[in-house]
This record gives sequence, structure tokens and C-alpha cells, in this order.
Amino acid sequence: MFVIPSLILFSAFSFFPIMNAFYESFFNRNLLSLRPPRFVGWDNYTYLFRSKDFWLSVQNTLIFTLGTFLPLLVFSLILAVFIMSISRFRRFFQMAFYSPAVLSSVVAALIWLLIFDPRGLANQGMNALLGTAGINYNWLSTTGMLRLSTIIVYFWKYIGYFTVIFVSGIGSIPDTLGEAALIDGANRWTLFWHVTFPLLKPTTMLVSIMTMIQCLKTFSTQYMFTSAGAPTRPINVITLNIYNTAIKDYRIGRATAMSILLFVVMFVFTWLQLRVSRTEDVSYT
Amino acid sequence: MSAQKTRSWYVEKAFTLLIWMFLIGACILILVPLVFMFTASAMPARHILRLPYPWIPEGFYWPNFWSGLRGPEGTFIFIRNALNSLIVAGTVSFFTVILSSLTGYGLAKFQFRGRTLVFMLIMATMMIPFEAIMIPLYMVAMRMGLQDTYAGLILPFLANAFGVFLMRQYLITFPDEILDAARIDGASEPRIFARIVLPSSGPAIATLAILAFRSQWDSLLWPLLVIQSDEMKTIPLYITKFMAETHSDEGIMMAVAVMASIPMIVLFLTLSKYFVNTEGLTSGAKG
Repeated sequence: MFVIPSLILFSAFSFFPIMNAFYESFFNRNLLSLRPPRFVGWDNYTYLFRSKDFWLSVQNTLIFTLGTFLPLLVFSLILAVFIMSISRFRRFFQMAFYSPAVLSSVVAALIWLLIFDPRGLANQGMNALLGTAGINYNWLSTTGMLRLSTIIVYFWKYIGYFTVIFVSGIGSIPDTLGEAALIDGANRWTLFWHVTFPLLKPTTMLVSIMTMIQCLKTFSTQYMFTSAGAPTRPINVITLNIYNTAIKDYRIGRATAMSILLFVVMFVFTWLQLRVSRTEDVSYT
Repeated sequence: MSAQKTRSWYVEKAFTLLIWMFLIGACILILVPLVFMFTASAMPARHILRLPYPWIPEGFYWPNFWSGLRGPEGTFIFIRNALNSLIVAGTVSFFTVILSSLTGYGLAKFQFRGRTLVFMLIMATMMIPFEAIMIPLYMVAMRMGLQDTYAGLILPFLANAFGVFLMRQYLITFPDEILDAARIDGASEPRIFARIVLPSSGPAIATLAILAFRSQWDSLLWPLLVIQSDEMKTIPLYITKFMAETHSDEGIMMAVAVMASIPMIVLFLTLSKYFVNTEGLTSGAKG
């Protein structure tokens, strides 16, 4: 009765496609070819495991994920602790930090494309900061800088989101705990390191896994940058590779096999997230 | 004794000052790109490329917005594309709310055989990331003749496992006495749902509606797969196409960016408390 419409939709758009994906990943279906797809067994997988291109995009995805997740975690925690340690304008700072997340990722990529332009703000800022004149930092052309650029865009867009999550995590810790510690002679650092941080562990875990899941499926920034003319290889992440393999090369079977591999990795992370959020409740006794 | 006290007072003040400086610095850094977007949208391209960047526009340069609206071919396709985005995001968010609250209500308040199984199945779909099934889903959509249609953009996103989860968690605490009282008064089940359950789940519904609306407004990958014609494109697709065709005029690009962001900015300024619902995120699978 109440649950039937949803169940039908879930079956059609979640269960069926994932089953179908397992099935298709054993065929060599080509989007344009009229010949019926042939069963190829594990060929798609063995092809991928031997393909340099595939491993490059695994590497790109890992670099992007680690390079985004660690700074995001550290800085959003710092910002949240700082926000909670001041007594005024807390809401203002939260809103300001969160504001980039309001923009769509396409718009965010568009803004940063102009900032990373050779004549753009990124070069002007770096030159002003380092006291150099007219150096072009090649934000969108050399391998390392291009990777860094995509990380910056993502970091900028999500820093506020995770700060707000940490703020509410800190907010849920009873004030009495901090007061007790202060009476016992703790300074700010020991208070943070021995009281706040351990109690934030579940929030930290949750934020880490959520960030990693988000980063593993990054697509928009890389797509926008490459279609604006940036070289594809350094930022050819898995999702971009899947998209190009299926839509530009028409190799559905191979793209599906890649999707399945991505699915397995993300399944583990999501499962972890659900486990962690289940043990989220900390008792403050 | 008192000397020590004043010293720790100074340390404390210096510490607070540092924290404020750090926060204000971070705030400026984070807001710079946004300020850049707004100021650049009001400048002709030749001003944007001046070194150093002139932060204050000399008057408002309307042609940027006009050219953005007209589009590269002068067909005003942007308006159509913006409407598409509104239609898709609005429909998805409306039906997500209805379906999620129906399902969540059913799972929270009714005993039936296989209830746990149904709940587990729905939760399991949360572990299937969209990016992993998009290609098979695309094949399904093609077979159903959904490419280049609103249905193709909308249908796959109606059933939202997170939405079901959120509504179930919210409704599980809803007092049974009220439902029983309504039943005794002779209200039918659909009526109880529409008149009692829905109106009292305001905050959860608002959170879910905004979440669904935003993710559709932002969506790029799926529309890239299913949409071919210019008429059916959504705003993100318009922007990518616009960028590829006229990646010369920075002013127009920023004007388009501003226009694409206006609905979200308005939503954020009016309903900001529903944007990050940390309760929905962190309240675990209790019960």
C-alpha cells in the first residue's frame, strides 16, 4: 500500500540497473554496432587491469581523493573549533563559509576557470604573495598544478559544509564538560585535545567517509576543465573515464565493468558510513 | 599572584585576536571567488582582464546579461533551459517528498510481513552510488524511449533512499495516539496521511525538498547522457555548451553564472536553516 510505488521505482532504477550492470560487464556491447553483444567472460576486467589508462585514472582518483579529503578534514575541524570559541558572529561565519556550496558545481568550475586564467586572479594573488612579478603558474596546463586546481575548487566548495557539520558536532557536547575541565586547570589546547576531539571522533569518522565517497565520484570539475581545453590525462578520474569510454568510444561493456569496480569500492565506504552513523551516539557520562 | 593573572589575561586576549584574524582571513579567501563572480558579471570583458583586477565595476554593464540570455545563436534558449531546470528540479523534489513520506510513514507506523526486508532493501540502494549504475541506467532509459524527454531526466530520481530513511526516522517518533484518535473518528488512511502526517512533518519535508531540488539543479552527468537537443537541455548543460562555444567573453560567462545561481541564492537566504540538516545526516539507523 504505502510502500509499493517506491518499491517499484527502486526496482526499476536501482536494483535492475545494478544487476544489469553485472550482466553487461561480461559482454562486449558496442553502442553503435548492430551485431548482438558477445559474451566475453572476464575479458573486460582483464583488459582494464592491464590497461595503463585505467590505472592512471585510478591513480588520479586516489590523488584527488586524498589531496582533497585530508585538507578538508583538518581545516573544517579548525574552522569549526574557532567558530565555537568566539562568542559573536558564529552564524555569520557559518553562512559565509557555507556560501560556495550553494552554487552548482558547474558554476563553481566556471568561476575558477577564469580565476586560473593566465591573466586571472590566481596568478595575481600568487605573485603578490611571493613578491614576484608576472610569473605564470600554469594552473591549467602542467600535471601537478592542474590536479591542485581541481582540488582547490572542490576544497573551496565543500569546506563550509563540513565546517557546519563539525560545528553542530561540537555544539552537541554539553558545556558542563568543558567547564569541569577548565576548573580542573585545563588550558584551551588540553581542553581541545583531551575533551573535544575524542568526543568528536564519530563526527570525524562520518565526515571522513562522506568526503571520500564524494571525492571518489567527482566529475563536474574535471569535465568542465577538460572541455575548456585543459589536458585530460592528469585529471582523467574514474567517472570521467567511464563517461568517455561509454559515450565517446561506445564501449558499453568496458565502461560497465569500470562502473562495477567503482561500485565495489564505494559500497565498502558507504557500508562503513552506515556502520559509523549507527554508532554515532556518544554517551557523555 | 595578580601579575600572573594579568599575564594570562593578555595571553587569552592575544589568542582570541588570532582566532578572529584567522576566521576573517578564511572568510575573505572563501568569499573572493564569489565577489569575483558578481563584480565580473557587471564588467565588460576588457575590464576583467585588466591587471590588477579592478574590484569595483564602473557602472553596471547590462550587455553581459543580455548576451547571456540571448545565447550564442540569439535564440534565447537560456530561458527555455532555465525553465527545464525548474521543471525537473521542482517535479523531482515534489514527488520525492510525497513518495518518501508515504514510504517512510508505511515503514514507521504499519506492521506488515517483510517490513524489515523492505527497509533493508531500500537502505541497500543507498550503497549503490549513481555514478556506478549510470551506464546501465542509460541503457534502460534508452530502451524505454526516455532519451531527450522530461521523464528521462525525472524518473530515475523519484525514489530516494535517503529520503525514505529521513522520513521514517522523523515519523517513528510521531505519537500513535493521534493516529488512533483519528481512526476512531472515522478518518480514512489516505486522509490521515494527507491531513495529519504530512502537515506535521514540515521541517523534515523542507530539508528533503531542498536537498532534492539542489541535487537536480546541480546535476550534470545524467543530463549529459540522456539529453541531446538544445531545447531539452538544463542549465548546467547550457553552461558547458556556452563555455565550449564562446569561451572568449568572461563577462558574459559570469553573467550566466550569476543567473544560474539566483534561484539557489534566494533559497539559501530565505531557508538557510534547512540547507544543512545535520540531524538528518547524523541520526543513525536507530530502531
